[in-house]
Amino acid sequence: MTDEIQKKFQKELELYNGVQKDIKKAIGLKQQLDSQLNENKAVKEELALLKKDSEVYKLIGPVLVKQDLDEARTNVSKRMEYISKEIKRTDDHISALENKQEALQENLNKLRNDLGKLKLKA
Amino acid sequence: MNIYFPFLFQELSVFQDSIQTLQIAKSKFVESGESLEKITPAIKGKTILVPLTGSMYVPGTVADVDNVVIDIGTGYYAQKDIDGGKDYFKRKVEFVAEQMEKINLLGMEKSKLRQAVGMIMEMKFQSELQAQKAPAS
Repeated sequence: MTDEIQKKFQKELELYNGVQKDIKKAIGLKQQLDSQLNENKAVKEELALLKKDSEVYKLIGPVLVKQDLDEARTNVSKRMEYISKEIKRTDDHISALENKQEALQENLNKLRNDLGKLKLKA
Repeated sequence: MNIYFPFLFQELSVFQDSIQTLQIAKSKFVESGESLEKITPAIKGKTILVPLTGSMYVPGTVADVDNVVIDIGTGYYAQKDIDGGKDYFKRKVEFVAEQMEKINLLGMEKSKLRQAVGMIMEMKFQSELQAQKAPAS
């Protein structure tokens, strides 16, 4: 009986550690997205400040390609939208993982209690 | 409490790291702004050496002294006149300084918190020590 619970405990613990790793990864991803969004925000502000006839270039590989200002503005806005959506998705992912983690934690606590009781009996 | 303490340390070092990064960014902006000062109408048509790699240069002449192209982030470059460029770097320096100020304030709060936590821990430790000593004497 004790062995069985011990095994189950091990298994749950592995699951728990896996989820914890996933959460760390997701948080890292979110931070990356956040900084991308901030950079895009700065670019958007800068593009908004430019005069109508200003020349804008985009770095593609090693060359600078001339871009239409309006096109550049819409492109940046679109990218910000996309990144915001990604951030929301990652947020949902993180909270789902956290819920999972909580459930696993409860399970672990229960199993630990059971183990303790069994040991007391024995 | 014991678990919380190293966490506070970690947070503080994150703040210090970001301040350092911001300081580097700020000095880069300042440097770029200063180099704009060197582009005056007087250097038009003058020969300069353009770096192709870190150690190889080719001669070139300055054709346009009125406009510069500035990297504004995420792969976009904008053409601006000299004054516009100077203004851009000035604004960037201000922006970075603002962010540093914010982080400084947060960092100060955190280090106050850390001090408080450290003091409480010390007090607990002392009282435990006393309690241990009491029955022995």
